[in-house]
Amino acid sequence: MMKDIKYDTNAIIEIKDLKKSFGTNVVLNDFTLNVKEGDNVVVIGKSGSGKSVLIKCIIGLMTPNSGTIKLFGEDVSKLSRQALDKVRAKVGFLFQSNALYDSMTIRENLEFPLRRHWIQNTKEKMKDLVIEALTNVGLTDTINMKPSELSGGMRKRIALARTLILKPKIILYDEPTSGLDPVTGKEISTLIVEIQKKYKTTSIIISHDLSCAKITANKIVILMNGKCYASGTFEELKMVNDIKVKQFFD
Amino acid sequence: MKPVALKTFIYEAADIYLFAIRFFREVFRPRYEISELLKQCYYIGNTSLPLVTVTALIMGLVITIQSHPAMEAFGTESWLPSVVSVSLVREIVPVITALTCAGKIGSSMGAELGSMKVTEQIDSMEVSGTNPFKYLVVTRVLAATLMLPLLIILSDTISLYGAYIGVNINQIISFHLFANQVFIKLSFGDVLPSIIKGFFFGFAIGIIGCYKGWNTTDGTAGVGKSANSAVVISIFAVFIIDLLAAQIADILHIT
Repeated sequence: MMKDIKYDTNAIIEIKDLKKSFGTNVVLNDFTLNVKEGDNVVVIGKSGSGKSVLIKCIIGLMTPNSGTIKLFGEDVSKLSRQALDKVRAKVGFLFQSNALYDSMTIRENLEFPLRRHWIQNTKEKMKDLVIEALTNVGLTDTINMKPSELSGGMRKRIALARTLILKPKIILYDEPTSGLDPVTGKEISTLIVEIQKKYKTTSIIISHDLSCAKITANKIVILMNGKCYASGTFEELKMVNDIKVKQFFD
Repeated sequence: MKPVALKTFIYEAADIYLFAIRFFREVFRPRYEISELLKQCYYIGNTSLPLVTVTALIMGLVITIQSHPAMEAFGTESWLPSVVSVSLVREIVPVITALTCAGKIGSSMGAELGSMKVTEQIDSMEVSGTNPFKYLVVTRVLAATLMLPLLIILSDTISLYGAYIGVNINQIISFHLFANQVFIKLSFGDVLPSIIKGFFFGFAIGIIGCYKGWNTTDGTAGVGKSANSAVVISIFAVFIIDLLAAQIADILHIT
C-alpha cells in the first residue's frame, strides 16, 4: 500500500525525494513528506529504518545525498551557517538521550539556547522564561539541580522544557518515550499534546511506541525501506488490510 | 608493525592533522568563546596544579639525591646545583610536566567530549546555535597550549626548590649560595626552549585529547577507549616533540 504524497507548497515542513545512505546502506530513498502548520505527525518504523536520520536531516545535523528539505519555505541544505542558526532558533529538537549538559545546572541548561541564539534578554526576562518553561513541565523545584540528580522521566521533561524555551514553531521529537515506563511515557505523550495546544506548535514525532502515537498524532507516517509506505490517522491505519502495516498495530 | 596496524596509524595521523587544520581555520573566526576559554584555562591550570607541583618537587629532590654519590665520587660535588638545575630545567621538568598533563588533561578531554558525543550533547549544542567545534575543541586546545608553559615555569621553580632540599640533605648550603650556583650555569638559552616546548606539548595534548573525544564511537564503551588512547597518543607525541626540539635546539646552537 504505497501512498503518494503530493507536494504541498503551504506546508511548514516540506521534504521531497530525500535520499540518505551510509556507504551501500540506503536509509532514506526518495522520502517525501509535507507537514502543515499545527500538525502532529508521528513517524513510525522498525529500528534502523532511518527515523532518527530523517529528523537529523531536517534540522541540518546530517546532510542528505539528494532531495530537498524546506523549513518555513527555506531550503535547509542551501543555507549559510548563520541563516541555518536563525531557522534553528524557530525549531526545537528533543533528543532521544535528552542531551542535557551534565556539567551545567538545570537553570544553565535552559539558559544555554537563549544565550547562544543571540536573543537579547535581561537577566530578569531570562529567569522568567526559565521558570515558565519549568512550570510547563511541572519541575520548577529542580532549577538548581544537576541532570544527574534527576530520574529518567524528569530528565525528559527538563529536555522538553529546554526545547520549549525559545518558543519554537516546530518541535522535532526523537523517540520521546523511549526508555521510560508506560506510565511516565503516557505522561510525556500527554504533555506533548498539551504543549502543542498551548503554543500551537507543529511537530514531527519519531517513535515506535504506538500508545504515544495514538495520543499525540493527528497523522501517522509509516517509514519502510526508506520510503513513506503508508500514512493516515491512527484509526485509518489500524483498519488497513496490509500485512506490513498491520504488523505495527498487532 | 603489521601492515593493517601501519595503515591505521597513518590514517589516524592524517585525521589528527586534518583536525588540527580545522582548529587553525576556526580559531581566528568570530564568534570568540572567551568566557569558555577562561573557564578551561582555570580548569586546566587549577586542577593540574597540585599534581604538577608535587611531581616537580619530587623530581628535583630525587634527581639531586641520585646524582650526589656519582658527583661526589668524581670530586665534583660543588657542581651539583648547576648540573642538576640545567638537566631539570632543560629536559626533565618540561617532559615530566607534559606527561603528567597528558594523563590528567588528555584523558579528561577524551572522556568528556566522548561522553558528550555519545549522549548527543554535541548535536544539541549545534541545534542551539553554537558551533560545537569552536565552543568545545578550540577553547580546550587553546587553554592547554597557553597553560602548559605556565605550568612548566612553575614546575621549574618548584623542582629547583626540591633540588635545594636534596642538596641540603648531605650538606648545609644557604639558599642564596644555591641560587648563585644555579644561575652561574643556567642561562636564558636553557629556560626559553623549555617554555617554547611547553606550547607544543600543550597543543599536542589538547588536539589529541579533543580528537579522540570528538571521534568517539561505540557508545559508553567507546568513551573509555577514547580516554585511554588520548593518553597513550599524547605521551607518544610528547616524546616525539621532545626529540624534535632537542634536534632543533642542537642545530640552532641553543645551548
